[in-house]
Amino acid sequence: MAHRWGMVVDLDRCTGCEACVTACHAENNIPTVGAAEAARGRAMHWIRVERYWEGEFPEARLTFRPVLCQQCDNAPCEAVCPTYASHQTDEGLNAQVYNRCIGTRYCANACMYNVRFFNFFHPQWEKPLQLQLNPDVSLRESGVMEKCTFCVQRIRAAKLEARAEARELVDGALQPACAQACPAGALVFGDLNDPESRVARLSESPRGTRLLEEYGAEPKITYLQRQGWHEPDIQ
Amino acid sequence: MTPMDRRRFLKVTAITGTSAALASCGHPENQIIRFVPEEELTPGIAVWKPSVCPLCSAGCGVIARVMDGDAEVFRNGQPGVTRMGLARKLEGDPAHAVSQGRLCVRGQAALQVTYHPDRLTTPLKRTGERGSGAFQEVSWDEAIGELVSRIDALVGGGQAGAIAFLGRPRRGRRQALVAEFLRALGAPAPVSFALFDDGVARHANELSFGRYQLPTLDLARARYVMGFGADFLGTWNSPVAQNVAYGRMRQGQPGVRAKFVQVEPRVSQTGASADEWVAIRPGTEGIVALGLAHVIMREGLRPAAAAGRAGGLVDGWASGLPAFTPQEVEQRTGVKAARLERLAREFAAHGPSVAVIGGAALAHANGVVQALAVNALNALVGSVDAPGGIAFTPTEAPPARPARSLRDLLGASPQLLLLDDANPVFATPAAARVAEALRSIPFIASFGCFVDETSALADLILPDHSFLESWTESSPESGAMEAVSVTAPPAMRPLYATRAMPDVLLEVSRRLSRPLDPPLPWQTFEELLQAPPAAAPAAPTRPASAAPVGWADAQFDGDAATYPFHLLPYASQALLDGSLAHLPWLQELPDPMTTAMWSSWVEINPHTAGQLGIAQGDMVEVSSAHGAVRAPAVISPGIGPDAVAMPVGQGHETFTRYASGRGANPIRVLAPVEEPATGTLAWSATRVKLAKVSGPDGSLVLFAGATRERPDHHGRG
Repeated sequence: MAHRWGMVVDLDRCTGCEACVTACHAENNIPTVGAAEAARGRAMHWIRVERYWEGEFPEARLTFRPVLCQQCDNAPCEAVCPTYASHQTDEGLNAQVYNRCIGTRYCANACMYNVRFFNFFHPQWEKPLQLQLNPDVSLRESGVMEKCTFCVQRIRAAKLEARAEARELVDGALQPACAQACPAGALVFGDLNDPESRVARLSESPRGTRLLEEYGAEPKITYLQRQGWHEPDIQ
Repeated sequence: MTPMDRRRFLKVTAITGTSAALASCGHPENQIIRFVPEEELTPGIAVWKPSVCPLCSAGCGVIARVMDGDAEVFRNGQPGVTRMGLARKLEGDPAHAVSQGRLCVRGQAALQVTYHPDRLTTPLKRTGERGSGAFQEVSWDEAIGELVSRIDALVGGGQAGAIAFLGRPRRGRRQALVAEFLRALGAPAPVSFALFDDGVARHANELSFGRYQLPTLDLARARYVMGFGADFLGTWNSPVAQNVAYGRMRQGQPGVRAKFVQVEPRVSQTGASADEWVAIRPGTEGIVALGLAHVIMREGLRPAAAAGRAGGLVDGWASGLPAFTPQEVEQRTGVKAARLERLAREFAAHGPSVAVIGGAALAHANGVVQALAVNALNALVGSVDAPGGIAFTPTEAPPARPARSLRDLLGASPQLLLLDDANPVFATPAAARVAEALRSIPFIASFGCFVDETSALADLILPDHSFLESWTESSPESGAMEAVSVTAPPAMRPLYATRAMPDVLLEVSRRLSRPLDPPLPWQTFEELLQAPPAAAPAAPTRPASAAPVGWADAQFDGDAATYPFHLLPYASQALLDGSLAHLPWLQELPDPMTTAMWSSWVEINPHTAGQLGIAQGDMVEVSSAHGAVRAPAVISPGIGPDAVAMPVGQGHETFTRYASGRGANPIRVLAPVEEPATGTLAWSATRVKLAKVSGPDGSLVLFAGATRERPDHHGRG
């Protein structure tokens, strides 16, 4: 059976530390745009940590929520792309073919999660910062839309390695950069088609919800809600 | 004599050739740089090499993904291009007991230290005015010769005591080498300086538990965690290890979920994850801890004697802390008496429970009594050296109590300063006049990789390798239950004409006109690292004095009528104490609490902002009795109406193209108040006033990315 890549984000573990954010920048050659362009809304973060304040001082509470491409089964970004740059792979990835992209930005408008980023300029790395680039990930040019790929380069490398060693992929051994860095273990990645995988079991959790599920995009990322503390019975 | 036939000729040349090659390894020029064997370079194939993250003192083991690439390098003083192994990504080392295969946001960005466009590539000698930034390139031979002649002159004139060393806090054998070098020279012991240096916590732990050390938190097995201002999920102590343990505490065991309560005046990033935030007046954390202990003892949940020595250090403990009734605590801290009683009962009933104090709570003149109060609370509920509590890692190289402070160093009017990556000009209050004192030192040699506010004053710069190009070592003082000791070779060859600082010191020691007595027994730092470690794990010590310490209220600089707000500076999740403000990945990282990038800001309670007519993004001036800074306002319900908070990290005058001239530095306006026992800066002890100066000037850059509509799904169960 084909793989079906998905993720679980455990909000009860997430501490908002943002290790995922920088790990993603380093892995995926995401350009730094600088303060002036960032002020114009052009900073690129394929994964971000949203925060929600509730209540007033001194009862104010803050909740973190990492948001990345939800890898929707019924993705609104795909339907609007005139060049099929945004499309669904047979492993359930919502892929972006940079060479097909003509920069209409329809997909970014269609995505309600705001996880697609447009290259307004040709990305620059001031020398010798280009030495940090990951040779496994192509650079995007100006006029091209980019987004989270679930670190497809890591998926491909792991599959090649498994095939060379004539074995199956091992659950948990293959991780995108964000999940590998996450110190609290809030991000769990794996194959939803493998019923024994951790991600498949966790996505059945009663704490599980999906973002904006009512729009019918069928996201493949499950968020596990934060739990409250209930005083246990004292023996 | 045996006739020389072809076979014998080959044998002899093979042997002599090998010994000639080995002998050339003894040549100092070749010892500094250890070349990565070329055969390891397979195009397109990644090799993972171990190293140690140097950005904070947690000492996380990392692995670097090294792949081939073309780099512009300096070799033998000549620029050129070479194909070499280049580190492309850092991950936590799965074999390291502290990082456990994980890495924090700052560790991920550590890669940019090596490839920073403003890294120093060669030795420099000052040509212009001090601090003007005018330097000229010199050869290593000339640079070391200059330093040697300066040291020779002082030693020859009987002034070896006027040689001083100031570095960032480091432990391990690099620091041991520095200390040994200074001792043999007849110079005073090295001084370390960092803004957030945890000296108060270590000092209190030695008093309470005989350990001059930060604790390891066994959060994974705790069932009730009470934080007192400690940002243990963000920036304090060993954040990676603590986040790993926290994840397990939350969802590691089916059906078991610990409670986490955070007691602090401003919600920190750590506090945001708490089940309950207890807002208090700044500097009253210890009163809450003693109030909890009072209730626990009064209700007979634990006997006073259970706290042992740690309890005996708190005045009034044996009689049940009569001065800390819930009503009294409510009056002094703002925590309701009924709430305090409930928290005390929960804390005693749902063990293993553990209290954690650090950071801002200890940055007061009464920091030591605050820490002693929490230590006694831990001892009372039996959480010291127990599962789910705090423990002290039996490390080979525990931190040593500093023999001298920065103030001692400057007060002794040194004639020559060796500066190793510490930046006190940025990280001390302007009123402490550290820059002025440094300017009066006749000669400063700096080893740091970058020009910052302090190394800009140097006369000579002898740039160190980046950590990926160096031998690295880690023996963390906390973060793992067992002792961890790692030594790792360079992950890649140096890009530039830089040299490892320990090797420079060793070369200096060999070139001195009066040889060191005793001579340093190593030729290279690598040789030192391969020598077996001398020290055995430290045994707990018992300081002689164990007299009870009476509670002292936190004192604040500035009178409340003129300066109505407490200024609460805090370590930035991205930039820490400002030493990471040069890394573009961290500059563009949205702050987890505000989403601000490339910015400074002032967090203001909505009520306060309303009264002063301040709106989000407005420029405000924060003034203490010692100076003023300006930054845009961020309106936040996570801080009380009597306080304002500012992240530390921005406001650099000189620190690479990414950090210079950006934002504001709140440390500069602090009162130079010290915690008396340790001499560390009480950075939470300053009062300020607040005024709007203008509307938004565009300097507050928010990412503020969000889903289109806020779903209700994210709420708490």
